[in-house]
Amino acid sequence: MDEPVYKKPSGTLAALVWHEVRMRVRGGIIWGGLLGLYSAMIVASYAAVEEQIPQFEQLLEAYPQAILEAFGITSLATPEAYMGGQFFNWLAPLALSFFPILALAGAIAGAEERGTLDVLLGNPIPRWQLVVGGFLAVAISLLGVLAIVGVLTWVPAALLGVELSAGRTIEAVLSLWPACMFFGGMALLCSAAFHRRALAVAVPGVLLFGMYLMNVISGLVEELESIKYLSVLYYYGAPIENGIDWAHFAGVAAAAVALMALAIPVFRRRDIYT
Amino acid sequence: MVIKTENLTKTYGRSRGIRDVGLSVEEGEVFGFLGPNGAGKTTTIRVLLDFLHPTSGRAEVFGLDTVKDSVRIRANVGNLPGEFALEDRLTGEQLLRFFARLRGVKDLGYAYELAERLGADLSRPMRRLSRGNKQKIGLVQAMFHRPPLLILDEPTGGLDPLVQEEFLKIVRELRGEGRTVFFSSHVLSEVERVCDRVGIIRDGELVDVEPTDALINKSFRHVRLVFDEPVDPRPFRALEGVRSFRAEGPELSFTLYGDLDRMVKLAARHTLVNMEYERPSLEEIFLTYYGGSGRNNDG
Repeated sequence: MDEPVYKKPSGTLAALVWHEVRMRVRGGIIWGGLLGLYSAMIVASYAAVEEQIPQFEQLLEAYPQAILEAFGITSLATPEAYMGGQFFNWLAPLALSFFPILALAGAIAGAEERGTLDVLLGNPIPRWQLVVGGFLAVAISLLGVLAIVGVLTWVPAALLGVELSAGRTIEAVLSLWPACMFFGGMALLCSAAFHRRALAVAVPGVLLFGMYLMNVISGLVEELESIKYLSVLYYYGAPIENGIDWAHFAGVAAAAVALMALAIPVFRRRDIYT
Repeated sequence: MVIKTENLTKTYGRSRGIRDVGLSVEEGEVFGFLGPNGAGKTTTIRVLLDFLHPTSGRAEVFGLDTVKDSVRIRANVGNLPGEFALEDRLTGEQLLRFFARLRGVKDLGYAYELAERLGADLSRPMRRLSRGNKQKIGLVQAMFHRPPLLILDEPTGGLDPLVQEEFLKIVRELRGEGRTVFFSSHVLSEVERVCDRVGIIRDGELVDVEPTDALINKSFRHVRLVFDEPVDPRPFRALEGVRSFRAEGPELSFTLYGDLDRMVKLAARHTLVNMEYERPSLEEIFLTYYGGSGRNNDG
């Protein structure tokens, strides 16, 4: 009989990340495809109304400030501003955050509910690797989703003759990455702490909409302007118009990593139920 | 000692958990862990694998602490959970390749051999497999890396009788190779067939650990005596340890918990035509532990 081997196996984290990325390929293509197609439709709509933009600008001045703030509309004068107001400044972060939220809520609490966690953890994987591996896999998958969205935004623009900056498009999709991963990190922390996937989706979901509202209200009510600093969406900003603020990018990414790091001791301490 | 627990206690939520469980499993034995659903079998296993942290007491596997050295322990353990699911979209082969990567196993030859013996279909996605077929994949993933210790929680659930038979044969082969098997079950007949020793857990407490034979032999017997003519039943009824006594003409039947010698000598005073002396099934012994006051009713 083989004697027990007392050394821990190596390469488990890489195997785990590779496995998780593979498991998310189909979902990533669907997410990227749907949001990318929506973005392509916005590009197409810009191409269709480009000549009427000055009239739209006049119309925009008559809009209530609350509406403009809610949808992050600053102007329609350029393709970047149009894309920001229609998609990148509000819908993209709100919708795409649910990709890491759903994925990372399922990484621990979801796997526990489904019953797959017992078999997986029957293997020699430390719990921290399950947390870090899940986070890395979703971070990589999200980059893939963003690449699809970017391609489906810029290629139709080029084909339709819309002068959308490729650089700004890249910056816009890349800026979504830390913001979405922040909410994913929150989902992972909840997934590590609670035994129910629904809670791990609900908490970051409510936080996301809460932060969105804070960002909108801070622009409408002068007395509440300072609450924007509490919202991740403030640090996300309007990257398709203004480019990436790398300090904000790094800060939000660090916050996402911190949430993942916090999930490690939380998961290590808790029991796993059937 | 492969598994050793001392005063192992786990309480959680509203569930009872386990209380002061102290058991030892030796290298190379098949240890049956018996108890009805909810008795604490799965809780004990989950503590051994560090899925649950003990409330008090300690547990060691291969002399390693189950909390501090969980990863090293799991590197040497094949585990079949009692209730489990496998990734719906993956086939058995894809799953086994993934687990092989996690364990650093390069050769899947033994996995294919096990799959063939158990009739496991490795080519279809999990979502298309029946419960029994998923159970076969579960068994293969527990055994394919040839671990020194197997922890199997209700391993035959969902398997058809022929596959159960093949599985029990594999367990006997594993014992022959010197591997240790911790076999949790509520199906007593299969435990009786493969286990060297049996631990009985009830209401979260380990009530007895015995060699399987001793557990069966030490317990009561069903006795039926037929004489050539009716005899006075009162001396038989008065024997120590006689229960469920029935007398019908020349035939006496009873359950004997006490001394066999006295009964035989008493019967020898008459002309005995027939004598049946049956050991109880493990099921009956088991029910004895779980019936009435719950104490061991033996002797």
